Amino acid sequence: MIKLIKCEFMKTRRRYVFLTALTVTAAMLAWIYPRHQSADLIRLGWMANLYELPLINSIFMPLLSIIVSSRLCDIEHKGVMLKQLAVTKKRSQIYDAKLIYGLIIMIFCLILSWGMTITFGYIAGFEGEVPIRLYLLYFLFTATPTIAVYILQHTLSLCFKNQGVTFFSGTIGTFLGALSLFFPQLPWLRRILVWGYYGALSFVGLFGWTKENRYKQAHFEVMGIDRNSFIILLFICIAMYIIGREIFKRKEL
Amino acid sequence: MNEIVKTAGLTKLYKGVAAVSDLNMSVRKGRIYGFLGPNGAGKTTTLKMLLSLIRPTNGEIEIMGRRMEAKSRIEILRNIGSLIESPSFYGHLTGAENLRILQTLLDVPKMNIDKVLKIVRLDNQRSKKASAYSLGMKQRLGLAGALLAFPKLLILDEPTNGLDPAGIQEMRELIKSLPTQFGMTVIVSSHLLSEIDQMAEDIGIIAKGKMMYQGKLEDLHNIDRNKSLEEIFLDLTGREQSL
Ligand SMILES: Nc1ncnc2c1ncn2[C@@H]1O[C@H](COP(=O)(O)OP(=O)(O)OP(=O)(O)O)[C@@H](O)[C@H]1O
Ligand SMILES: [Mg+2]
Repeated sequence: MIKLIKCEFMKTRRRYVFLTALTVTAAMLAWIYPRHQSADLIRLGWMANLYELPLINSIFMPLLSIIVSSRLCDIEHKGVMLKQLAVTKKRSQIYDAKLIYGLIIMIFCLILSWGMTITFGYIAGFEGEVPIRLYLLYFLFTATPTIAVYILQHTLSLCFKNQGVTFFSGTIGTFLGALSLFFPQLPWLRRILVWGYYGALSFVGLFGWTKENRYKQAHFEVMGIDRNSFIILLFICIAMYIIGREIFKRKEL
Repeated sequence: MNEIVKTAGLTKLYKGVAAVSDLNMSVRKGRIYGFLGPNGAGKTTTLKMLLSLIRPTNGEIEIMGRRMEAKSRIEILRNIGSLIESPSFYGHLTGAENLRILQTLLDVPKMNIDKVLKIVRLDNQRSKKASAYSLGMKQRLGLAGALLAFPKLLILDEPTNGLDPAGIQEMRELIKSLPTQFGMTVIVSSHLLSEIDQMAEDIGIIAKGKMMYQGKLEDLHNIDRNKSLEEIFLDLTGREQSL
Protein backbone atom coordinates (compact mmCIF):
# COMPACT_ATOMS: atom_id res chain seq x y z
CA MET A 1 0.00 0.00 0.00
CA ILE A 2 2.84 2.37 0.84
CA LYS A 3 4.16 1.69 -2.64
CA LEU A 4 0.87 2.56 -4.22
CA ILE A 5 0.66 5.82 -2.34
CA LYS A 6 4.21 6.58 -3.35
CA CYS A 7 3.14 6.02 -6.94
CA GLU A 8 0.29 8.46 -6.45
CA PHE A 9 2.85 10.98 -5.34
CA MET A 10 5.04 10.28 -8.36
CA LYS A 11 2.09 10.65 -10.69
CA THR A 12 1.28 14.12 -9.47
CA ARG A 13 4.66 15.53 -10.41
CA ARG A 14 4.24 18.71 -12.39
CA ARG A 15 0.52 18.64 -11.64
CA TYR A 16 0.81 20.97 -8.65
CA VAL A 17 -2.12 19.38 -6.87
CA PHE A 18 -0.71 20.27 -3.50
CA LEU A 19 0.03 23.82 -4.54
CA THR A 20 -3.49 24.20 -5.93
CA ALA A 21 -4.92 22.94 -2.65
CA LEU A 22 -2.78 25.38 -0.71
CA THR A 23 -3.91 28.23 -2.95
CA VAL A 24 -7.55 27.46 -2.25
CA THR A 25 -6.80 27.23 1.47
CA ALA A 26 -4.99 30.54 1.29
CA ALA A 27 -8.00 32.11 -0.41
CA MET A 28 -10.21 30.85 2.38
CA LEU A 29 -7.82 32.20 4.99
CA ALA A 30 -7.70 35.58 3.26
CA TRP A 31 -11.47 35.56 3.44
CA ILE A 32 -11.60 35.01 7.18
CA TYR A 33 -8.62 37.18 8.04
CA PRO A 34 -9.82 39.49 10.84
CA ARG A 35 -10.19 43.07 9.61
CA HIS A 36 -11.61 46.07 11.41
CA GLN A 37 -13.40 44.02 13.96
CA SER A 38 -15.56 45.81 16.46
CA ALA A 39 -14.52 45.77 20.08
CA ASP A 40 -17.48 43.52 20.77
CA LEU A 41 -16.33 40.96 18.29
CA ILE A 42 -12.83 41.03 19.69
CA ARG A 43 -14.30 40.37 23.09
CA LEU A 44 -16.33 37.48 21.71
CA GLY A 45 -13.80 36.46 19.08
CA TRP A 46 -13.01 32.88 20.01
CA MET A 47 -16.62 31.87 20.23
CA ALA A 48 -17.67 33.99 17.26
CA ASN A 49 -15.21 32.00 15.17
CA LEU A 50 -16.78 28.72 16.17
CA TYR A 51 -20.15 30.17 15.27
CA GLU A 52 -19.17 31.48 11.86
CA LEU A 53 -16.58 29.09 10.55
CA PRO A 54 -18.86 26.09 9.89
CA LEU A 55 -20.63 28.03 7.16
CA ILE A 56 -17.37 29.05 5.55
CA ASN A 57 -16.04 25.51 5.81
CA SER A 58 -19.21 24.15 4.31
CA ILE A 59 -18.43 26.13 1.18
CA PHE A 60 -14.66 25.93 0.94
CA MET A 61 -13.94 22.38 2.01
CA PRO A 62 -16.35 20.73 -0.48
CA LEU A 63 -14.99 22.95 -3.25
CA LEU A 64 -11.49 21.94 -2.29
CA SER A 65 -12.61 18.30 -2.36
CA ILE A 66 -13.89 18.69 -5.90
CA ILE A 67 -10.65 20.26 -7.04
CA VAL A 68 -8.30 17.81 -5.35
CA SER A 69 -10.22 14.65 -6.26
CA SER A 70 -10.70 15.55 -9.87
CA ARG A 71 -7.13 16.72 -10.24
CA LEU A 72 -5.92 13.40 -8.89
CA CYS A 73 -8.27 11.31 -10.99
CA ASP A 74 -8.39 13.04 -14.34
CA ILE A 75 -4.82 12.00 -15.13
CA GLU A 76 -6.01 8.40 -15.06
CA HIS A 77 -8.84 9.10 -17.48
CA LYS A 78 -6.79 11.28 -19.79
CA GLY A 79 -4.11 8.65 -20.16
CA VAL A 80 -6.59 5.72 -20.11
CA MET A 81 -4.43 4.42 -17.29
CA LEU A 82 -7.09 2.64 -15.25
CA LYS A 83 -7.04 -0.43 -17.46
CA GLN A 84 -3.28 -0.55 -17.06
CA LEU A 85 -3.48 -0.18 -13.29
CA ALA A 86 -6.27 -2.71 -13.02
CA VAL A 87 -4.10 -5.47 -14.46
CA THR A 88 -1.30 -4.81 -11.98
CA LYS A 89 -3.09 -4.16 -8.71
CA LYS A 90 -6.36 -5.00 -7.04
CA ARG A 91 -9.08 -2.51 -7.81
CA SER A 92 -9.70 -1.99 -4.13
CA GLN A 93 -6.06 -1.04 -3.62
CA ILE A 94 -6.17 1.42 -6.49
CA TYR A 95 -9.27 2.99 -4.99
CA ASP A 96 -7.76 3.14 -1.52
CA ALA A 97 -4.36 4.51 -2.49
CA LYS A 98 -5.81 7.45 -4.32
CA LEU A 99 -8.34 8.09 -1.57
CA ILE A 100 -5.66 8.10 1.09
CA TYR A 101 -3.42 10.39 -0.91
CA GLY A 102 -6.29 12.80 -1.48
CA LEU A 103 -7.30 12.71 2.17
CA ILE A 104 -3.74 13.45 3.25
CA ILE A 105 -3.85 16.63 1.20
CA MET A 106 -7.30 17.53 2.52
CA ILE A 107 -6.40 16.93 6.15
CA PHE A 108 -3.20 18.88 5.77
CA CYS A 109 -5.11 21.88 4.43
CA LEU A 110 -7.62 21.47 7.22
CA ILE A 111 -4.97 21.47 9.93
CA LEU A 112 -3.34 24.45 8.29
CA SER A 113 -6.53 26.47 8.22
CA TRP A 114 -7.40 25.37 11.75
CA GLY A 115 -4.02 26.51 13.05
CA MET A 116 -4.24 29.75 11.11
CA THR A 117 -7.67 30.67 12.48
CA ILE A 118 -6.24 30.37 15.99
CA THR A 119 -3.20 32.41 14.97
CA PHE A 120 -5.49 35.03 13.48
CA GLY A 121 -7.33 35.16 16.79
CA TYR A 122 -4.17 36.03 18.61
CA ILE A 123 -3.21 38.57 15.95
CA ALA A 124 -6.59 40.26 16.30
CA GLY A 125 -6.19 40.15 20.07
CA PHE A 126 -9.24 38.10 20.96
CA GLU A 127 -9.99 38.28 24.63
CA GLY A 128 -8.97 35.40 26.85
CA GLU A 129 -7.32 32.12 26.04
CA VAL A 130 -8.38 30.00 23.11
CA PRO A 131 -10.94 27.45 24.33
CA ILE A 132 -8.79 24.62 23.06
CA ARG A 133 -11.19 21.79 23.85
CA LEU A 134 -13.94 23.43 21.88
CA TYR A 135 -11.52 24.09 19.06
CA LEU A 136 -10.47 20.46 18.98
CA LEU A 137 -14.09 19.44 18.87
CA TYR A 138 -14.62 21.92 16.09
CA PHE A 139 -11.72 20.37 14.19
CA LEU A 140 -13.23 16.92 14.53
CA PHE A 141 -16.61 18.23 13.41
CA THR A 142 -15.05 19.85 10.38
CA ALA A 143 -12.81 16.94 9.44
CA THR A 144 -15.55 14.31 9.51
CA PRO A 145 -17.92 16.00 7.04
CA THR A 146 -14.90 16.79 4.89
CA ILE A 147 -13.90 13.13 4.80
CA ALA A 148 -17.47 12.15 3.91
CA VAL A 149 -17.64 14.70 1.12
CA TYR A 150 -14.21 13.70 -0.13
CA ILE A 151 -15.08 10.01 -0.33
CA LEU A 152 -18.08 10.92 -2.44
CA GLN A 153 -16.11 13.20 -4.75
CA HIS A 154 -13.33 10.66 -5.01
CA THR A 155 -15.73 7.97 -6.18
CA LEU A 156 -17.34 10.27 -8.71
CA SER A 157 -14.00 11.48 -10.05
CA LEU A 158 -12.65 7.97 -10.34
CA CYS A 159 -15.70 6.40 -11.93
CA PHE A 160 -16.71 9.11 -14.35
CA LYS A 161 -14.42 9.97 -17.19
CA ASN A 162 -16.15 13.30 -17.54
CA GLN A 163 -15.03 15.43 -14.64
CA GLY A 164 -17.98 17.71 -15.34
CA VAL A 165 -20.10 15.18 -13.47
CA THR A 166 -17.92 15.61 -10.41
CA PHE A 167 -17.94 19.37 -10.61
CA PHE A 168 -21.64 19.62 -11.25
CA SER A 169 -22.86 17.32 -8.50
CA GLY A 170 -20.24 18.65 -6.10
CA THR A 171 -21.20 22.25 -6.64
CA ILE A 172 -24.93 21.58 -6.36
CA GLY A 173 -24.32 19.62 -3.17
CA THR A 174 -22.16 22.36 -1.73
CA PHE A 175 -24.78 24.95 -2.50
CA LEU A 176 -27.62 22.94 -0.97
CA GLY A 177 -25.48 22.08 2.04
CA ALA A 178 -24.60 25.71 2.71
CA LEU A 179 -28.21 26.67 2.13
CA SER A 180 -29.39 24.19 4.75
CA LEU A 181 -27.38 26.13 7.31
CA PHE A 182 -29.76 29.03 6.92
CA PHE A 183 -32.68 26.97 8.15
CA PRO A 184 -31.83 26.21 11.77
CA GLN A 185 -35.51 25.66 12.42
CA LEU A 186 -35.36 22.61 10.16
CA PRO A 187 -32.53 20.58 11.67
CA TRP A 188 -33.35 17.43 9.68
CA LEU A 189 -32.54 19.33 6.49
CA ARG A 190 -28.86 19.34 7.33
CA ARG A 191 -28.82 15.65 7.85
CA ILE A 192 -30.08 14.72 4.42
CA LEU A 193 -26.98 15.67 2.46
CA VAL A 194 -23.38 15.06 3.48
CA TRP A 195 -22.66 18.71 2.77
CA GLY A 196 -25.09 19.76 5.45
CA TYR A 197 -23.18 18.19 8.31
CA TYR A 198 -20.88 21.15 8.76
CA GLY A 199 -24.00 22.88 10.00
CA ALA A 200 -25.54 19.88 11.73
CA LEU A 201 -22.42 19.52 13.85
CA SER A 202 -21.94 23.19 14.68
CA PHE A 203 -22.42 23.64 18.38
CA VAL A 204 -22.28 27.35 19.14
CA GLY A 205 -25.33 29.56 19.22
CA LEU A 206 -25.64 33.35 19.16
CA PHE A 207 -27.92 35.02 21.65
CA GLY A 208 -28.98 38.58 22.25
CA TRP A 209 -28.03 39.92 18.85
CA THR A 210 -30.26 42.78 17.72
CA LYS A 211 -30.32 45.00 14.68
CA GLU A 212 -29.72 48.19 16.67
CA ASN A 213 -27.25 46.97 19.23
CA ARG A 214 -25.62 44.31 17.10
CA TYR A 215 -23.16 42.44 19.29
CA LYS A 216 -23.30 44.86 22.22
CA GLN A 217 -25.32 42.63 24.47
CA ALA A 218 -24.80 39.48 22.54
CA HIS A 219 -23.11 36.38 23.72
CA PHE A 220 -22.28 32.95 22.30
CA GLU A 221 -23.15 29.77 24.03
CA VAL A 222 -22.21 26.18 23.59
CA MET A 223 -25.40 24.39 22.75
CA GLY A 224 -25.96 20.70 22.83
CA ILE A 225 -23.52 18.69 20.83
CA ASP A 226 -25.40 16.70 18.28
CA ARG A 227 -24.08 13.23 18.99
CA ASN A 228 -26.71 11.58 16.83
CA SER A 229 -25.71 13.55 13.78
CA PHE A 230 -22.10 12.64 14.38
CA ILE A 231 -22.90 8.95 14.60
CA ILE A 232 -25.06 9.13 11.49
CA LEU A 233 -22.22 10.86 9.71
CA LEU A 234 -19.75 8.18 10.70
CA PHE A 235 -22.09 5.58 9.26
CA ILE A 236 -22.46 7.62 6.10
CA CYS A 237 -18.66 7.73 5.76
CA ILE A 238 -18.36 3.99 6.11
CA ALA A 239 -21.28 3.28 3.81
CA MET A 240 -20.02 5.62 1.14
CA TYR A 241 -16.59 4.11 1.30
CA ILE A 242 -17.89 0.57 0.95
CA ILE A 243 -20.34 1.45 -1.81
CA GLY A 244 -17.86 3.62 -3.71
CA ARG A 245 -15.20 0.98 -3.61
CA GLU A 246 -17.64 -1.68 -4.73
CA ILE A 247 -18.80 0.45 -7.67
CA PHE A 248 -15.22 0.96 -8.75
CA LYS A 249 -14.50 -2.74 -8.41
CA ARG A 250 -17.37 -3.61 -10.71
CA LYS A 251 -16.70 -0.92 -13.26
CA GLU A 252 -15.94 -2.13 -16.77
CA LEU A 253 -12.73 -0.61 -18.02
CA MET B 1 -0.05 -28.82 -20.56
CA ASN B 2 0.62 -27.08 -23.78
CA GLU B 3 -2.13 -24.49 -23.66
CA ILE B 4 -1.46 -21.18 -21.97
CA VAL B 5 -4.90 -19.67 -22.61
CA LYS B 6 -8.09 -21.60 -22.88
CA THR B 7 -11.64 -20.31 -22.83
CA ALA B 8 -14.81 -22.32 -22.75
CA GLY B 9 -18.11 -20.88 -23.90
CA LEU B 10 -16.91 -17.35 -23.31
CA THR B 11 -19.78 -14.94 -23.85
CA LYS B 12 -20.34 -11.24 -23.37
CA LEU B 13 -23.70 -9.63 -23.84
CA TYR B 14 -24.23 -5.90 -24.04
CA LYS B 15 -27.88 -5.17 -23.36
CA GLY B 16 -28.81 -8.63 -24.57
CA VAL B 17 -26.75 -8.38 -27.74
CA ALA B 18 -23.79 -10.70 -27.95
CA ALA B 19 -20.46 -8.98 -28.57
CA VAL B 20 -18.73 -12.30 -28.03
CA SER B 21 -20.63 -15.54 -28.07
CA ASP B 22 -19.67 -19.02 -26.97
CA LEU B 23 -16.01 -18.54 -27.76
CA ASN B 24 -13.61 -21.42 -27.30
CA MET B 25 -10.17 -19.99 -27.65
CA SER B 26 -7.04 -22.01 -27.34
CA VAL B 27 -3.57 -20.53 -27.38
CA ARG B 28 -0.48 -22.71 -27.29
CA LYS B 29 2.52 -21.89 -25.19
CA GLY B 30 5.43 -20.19 -26.90
CA ARG B 31 3.49 -19.36 -30.04
CA ILE B 32 2.35 -16.21 -31.71
CA TYR B 33 -1.43 -16.32 -31.94
CA GLY B 34 -3.02 -13.96 -34.42
CA PHE B 35 -6.52 -12.94 -33.40
CA LEU B 36 -8.22 -11.78 -36.55
CA GLY B 37 -11.54 -10.22 -37.26
CA PRO B 38 -13.19 -7.25 -38.92
CA ASN B 39 -14.14 -4.11 -36.99
CA GLY B 40 -16.64 -4.82 -34.28
CA ALA B 41 -16.03 -8.57 -34.39
CA GLY B 42 -15.39 -8.78 -30.66
CA LYS B 43 -11.59 -8.91 -30.48
CA THR B 44 -11.14 -6.16 -27.90
CA THR B 45 -14.06 -7.48 -25.87
CA THR B 46 -12.49 -10.95 -25.77
CA LEU B 47 -9.05 -9.68 -24.82
CA LYS B 48 -10.53 -7.47 -22.11
CA MET B 49 -12.28 -10.47 -20.64
CA LEU B 50 -8.99 -12.38 -20.59
CA LEU B 51 -7.56 -9.51 -18.55
CA SER B 52 -10.57 -9.21 -16.22
CA LEU B 53 -11.13 -5.65 -17.34
CA ILE B 54 -14.68 -6.61 -18.10
CA ARG B 55 -16.76 -9.41 -16.68
CA PRO B 56 -17.83 -12.28 -18.95
CA THR B 57 -21.57 -12.83 -19.04
CA ASN B 58 -20.86 -16.53 -19.33
CA GLY B 59 -18.09 -19.01 -19.79
CA GLU B 60 -14.75 -19.78 -18.29
CA ILE B 61 -11.18 -18.67 -18.74
CA GLU B 62 -8.14 -20.70 -17.89
CA ILE B 63 -4.72 -19.11 -18.06
CA MET B 64 -1.52 -21.00 -17.32
CA GLY B 65 -3.56 -23.88 -16.06
CA ARG B 66 -5.43 -21.81 -13.51
CA ARG B 67 -9.00 -20.74 -13.59
CA MET B 68 -9.50 -17.02 -13.67
CA GLU B 69 -11.36 -16.15 -10.47
CA ALA B 70 -11.54 -13.24 -8.12
CA LYS B 71 -8.96 -14.85 -5.83
CA SER B 72 -6.42 -15.89 -8.43
CA ARG B 73 -6.91 -12.92 -10.73
CA ILE B 74 -4.06 -10.64 -9.70
CA GLU B 75 -1.58 -13.49 -9.40
CA ILE B 76 -2.37 -14.69 -12.90
CA LEU B 77 -2.28 -11.18 -14.28
CA ARG B 78 1.22 -10.72 -12.92
CA ASN B 79 2.40 -12.97 -15.71
CA ILE B 80 0.59 -11.10 -18.44
CA GLY B 81 1.65 -7.95 -20.21
CA SER B 82 -0.97 -6.11 -22.18
CA LEU B 83 -1.65 -3.29 -24.55
CA ILE B 84 -5.36 -2.87 -25.20
CA GLU B 85 -6.68 -0.49 -27.86
CA SER B 86 -4.81 2.75 -27.26
CA PRO B 87 -1.62 2.83 -25.19
CA SER B 88 -1.90 4.03 -21.60
CA PHE B 89 0.40 6.71 -20.24
CA TYR B 90 0.50 9.86 -18.16
CA GLY B 91 0.98 12.67 -20.63
CA HIS B 92 2.52 15.05 -18.12
CA LEU B 93 5.29 12.59 -17.26
CA THR B 94 8.26 11.52 -19.33
CA GLY B 95 8.52 8.09 -20.86
CA ALA B 96 10.96 6.97 -18.20
CA GLU B 97 8.82 8.37 -15.37
CA ASN B 98 5.82 6.51 -16.76
CA LEU B 99 7.74 3.27 -16.71
CA ARG B 100 9.09 4.04 -13.26
CA ILE B 101 5.54 4.09 -11.92
CA LEU B 102 4.68 0.81 -13.57
CA GLN B 103 7.93 -0.69 -12.36
CA THR B 104 7.10 0.28 -8.78
CA LEU B 105 3.61 -1.16 -9.08
CA LEU B 106 4.82 -4.38 -10.65
CA ASP B 107 7.65 -4.70 -8.21
CA VAL B 108 10.23 -5.60 -10.82
CA PRO B 109 13.91 -4.56 -10.96
CA LYS B 110 14.61 -0.98 -11.92
CA MET B 111 16.98 -2.01 -14.66
CA ASN B 112 14.04 -3.49 -16.57
CA ILE B 113 13.17 0.08 -17.49
CA ASP B 114 16.40 0.50 -19.43
CA LYS B 115 16.04 -2.94 -20.95
CA VAL B 116 12.56 -2.41 -22.34
CA LEU B 117 13.33 1.12 -23.49
CA LYS B 118 16.14 -0.36 -25.51
CA ILE B 119 13.96 -3.15 -26.87
CA VAL B 120 11.33 -0.72 -28.16
CA ARG B 121 14.08 1.71 -29.21
CA LEU B 122 12.86 4.59 -27.15
CA ASP B 123 15.95 5.03 -24.99
CA ASN B 124 16.96 8.34 -26.50
CA GLN B 125 13.44 9.74 -26.01
CA ARG B 126 13.13 8.67 -22.39
CA SER B 127 13.26 12.18 -20.94
CA LYS B 128 10.64 13.60 -23.23
CA LYS B 129 7.11 14.09 -21.97
CA ALA B 130 4.81 11.34 -23.19
CA SER B 131 2.28 13.90 -24.42
CA ALA B 132 4.95 15.15 -26.81
CA TYR B 133 5.51 11.69 -28.29
CA SER B 134 4.38 10.86 -31.79
CA LEU B 135 1.67 8.23 -32.16
CA GLY B 136 4.25 5.59 -32.99
CA MET B 137 6.33 6.51 -29.97
CA LYS B 138 3.27 6.33 -27.71
CA GLN B 139 2.53 2.91 -29.10
CA ARG B 140 6.09 1.83 -28.36
CA LEU B 141 5.90 3.25 -24.86
CA GLY B 142 2.74 1.21 -24.35
CA LEU B 143 4.58 -1.87 -25.56
CA ALA B 144 7.48 -1.09 -23.24
CA GLY B 145 5.03 -1.02 -20.35
CA ALA B 146 3.58 -4.36 -21.40
CA LEU B 147 7.07 -5.88 -21.58
CA LEU B 148 8.32 -4.36 -18.34
CA ALA B 149 7.84 -7.44 -16.18
CA PHE B 150 9.01 -9.77 -18.98
CA PRO B 151 5.71 -11.62 -18.71
CA LYS B 152 5.07 -15.14 -19.91
CA LEU B 153 2.08 -13.98 -21.91
CA LEU B 154 1.72 -10.81 -23.93
CA ILE B 155 -1.66 -9.60 -25.12
CA LEU B 156 -1.52 -6.94 -27.80
CA ASP B 157 -4.68 -5.44 -29.25
CA GLU B 158 -3.95 -3.95 -32.65
CA PRO B 159 -0.43 -2.86 -31.73
CA THR B 160 0.26 -1.52 -35.19
CA ASN B 161 -2.65 0.91 -35.08
CA GLY B 162 -1.55 4.25 -36.43
CA LEU B 163 1.96 3.15 -37.33
CA ASP B 164 3.54 3.89 -40.69
CA PRO B 165 4.73 1.00 -42.89
CA ALA B 166 8.22 1.13 -41.45
CA GLY B 167 6.81 1.16 -37.94
CA ILE B 168 4.55 -1.77 -38.74
CA GLN B 169 7.50 -3.70 -40.10
CA GLU B 170 9.55 -2.92 -37.01
CA MET B 171 6.75 -3.89 -34.63
CA ARG B 172 6.30 -7.13 -36.52
CA GLU B 173 9.96 -8.04 -36.27
CA LEU B 174 9.93 -7.18 -32.60
CA ILE B 175 6.90 -9.32 -31.85
CA LYS B 176 8.36 -12.19 -33.85
CA SER B 177 11.51 -12.13 -31.76
CA LEU B 178 9.73 -12.32 -28.41
CA PRO B 179 9.01 -16.08 -28.18
CA THR B 180 12.57 -17.09 -28.98
CA GLN B 181 14.28 -14.30 -27.09
CA PHE B 182 12.21 -14.27 -23.92
CA GLY B 183 10.09 -17.37 -24.15
CA MET B 184 6.91 -15.34 -24.34
CA THR B 185 3.61 -16.33 -25.82
CA VAL B 186 1.97 -13.54 -27.78
CA ILE B 187 -1.65 -12.95 -28.64
CA VAL B 188 -1.88 -10.20 -31.21
CA SER B 189 -5.11 -8.95 -32.70
CA SER B 190 -5.65 -7.28 -36.01
CA HIS B 191 -8.33 -6.69 -38.59
CA LEU B 192 -5.90 -7.23 -41.44
CA LEU B 193 -4.78 -10.67 -42.44
CA SER B 194 -1.81 -9.20 -44.28
CA GLU B 195 -0.50 -7.80 -41.02
CA ILE B 196 -0.70 -11.06 -39.18
CA ASP B 197 0.22 -13.66 -41.75
CA GLN B 198 3.90 -12.83 -41.60
CA MET B 199 4.26 -13.26 -37.88
CA ALA B 200 1.52 -15.47 -36.49
CA GLU B 201 1.90 -19.21 -36.43
CA ASP B 202 -1.58 -19.89 -35.14
CA ILE B 203 -4.67 -17.87 -35.80
CA GLY B 204 -8.18 -17.46 -34.57
CA ILE B 205 -10.65 -15.76 -36.84
CA ILE B 206 -13.60 -14.12 -35.18
CA ALA B 207 -16.63 -12.55 -36.82
CA LYS B 208 -19.75 -11.22 -35.14
CA GLY B 209 -18.50 -12.58 -31.85
CA LYS B 210 -18.11 -16.13 -33.08
CA MET B 211 -14.94 -18.09 -33.72
CA MET B 212 -14.96 -18.97 -37.41
CA TYR B 213 -11.61 -20.71 -37.60
CA GLN B 214 -8.91 -21.63 -35.18
CA GLY B 215 -5.70 -23.46 -35.89
CA LYS B 216 -2.41 -23.23 -37.68
CA LEU B 217 -2.14 -20.47 -40.22
CA GLU B 218 -0.75 -22.84 -42.82
CA ASP B 219 -3.80 -25.05 -42.51
CA LEU B 220 -5.99 -22.18 -43.53
CA HIS B 221 -4.81 -22.79 -47.09
CA ASN B 222 -6.32 -26.22 -46.99
CA ILE B 223 -9.85 -24.86 -46.69
CA ASP B 224 -9.79 -24.03 -50.36
CA ARG B 225 -6.62 -24.61 -52.31
CA ASN B 226 -7.86 -22.48 -55.21
CA LYS B 227 -8.32 -19.35 -53.17
CA SER B 228 -5.84 -16.95 -51.69
CA LEU B 229 -5.63 -16.56 -47.92
CA GLU B 230 -7.22 -13.16 -48.20
CA GLU B 231 -10.20 -14.59 -50.02
CA ILE B 232 -10.63 -17.37 -47.49
CA PHE B 233 -10.50 -14.80 -44.71
CA LEU B 234 -13.15 -12.70 -46.41
CA ASP B 235 -15.34 -15.75 -46.92
CA LEU B 236 -15.10 -16.64 -43.26
CA THR B 237 -15.84 -13.19 -41.94
CA GLY B 238 -18.48 -12.20 -44.43
CA ARG B 239 -17.39 -10.04 -47.32
CA GLU B 240 -19.79 -7.19 -46.85
CA GLN B 241 -18.37 -6.41 -43.39
CA SER B 242 -14.81 -5.92 -44.42
CA LEU B 243 -15.48 -3.39 -47.12
N1 LIG C 1 -19.21 -0.94 -23.64
C1 LIG C 1 -19.95 -1.42 -24.65
N2 LIG C 1 -21.28 -1.27 -24.65
C2 LIG C 1 -22.04 -1.77 -25.65
N3 LIG C 1 -21.55 -2.43 -26.71
C3 LIG C 1 -20.23 -2.62 -26.79
C4 LIG C 1 -19.35 -2.13 -25.75
N4 LIG C 1 -18.09 -2.46 -26.09
C5 LIG C 1 -18.17 -3.12 -27.26
N5 LIG C 1 -19.46 -3.22 -27.68
C6 LIG C 1 -19.91 -3.88 -28.91
O1 LIG C 1 -19.34 -5.15 -28.99
C7 LIG C 1 -18.99 -5.46 -30.33
C8 LIG C 1 -17.52 -5.88 -30.37
O2 LIG C 1 -16.70 -4.79 -30.09
P1 LIG C 1 -15.14 -4.91 -30.00
O3 LIG C 1 -14.61 -3.62 -29.55
O4 LIG C 1 -14.78 -6.09 -29.20
O5 LIG C 1 -14.72 -5.16 -31.51
P2 LIG C 1 -13.29 -5.29 -32.15
O6 LIG C 1 -13.23 -6.62 -32.78
O7 LIG C 1 -12.25 -4.97 -31.15
O8 LIG C 1 -13.33 -4.19 -33.27
P3 LIG C 1 -12.21 -3.17 -33.79
O9 LIG C 1 -11.45 -3.88 -34.85
O10 LIG C 1 -13.03 -2.08 -34.38
O11 LIG C 1 -11.40 -2.75 -32.63
C9 LIG C 1 -19.30 -4.24 -31.15
O12 LIG C 1 -20.50 -4.47 -31.82
C10 LIG C 1 -19.45 -3.16 -30.15
O13 LIG C 1 -20.40 -2.22 -30.57
MG1 LIG D 1 -10.83 -3.45 -30.92
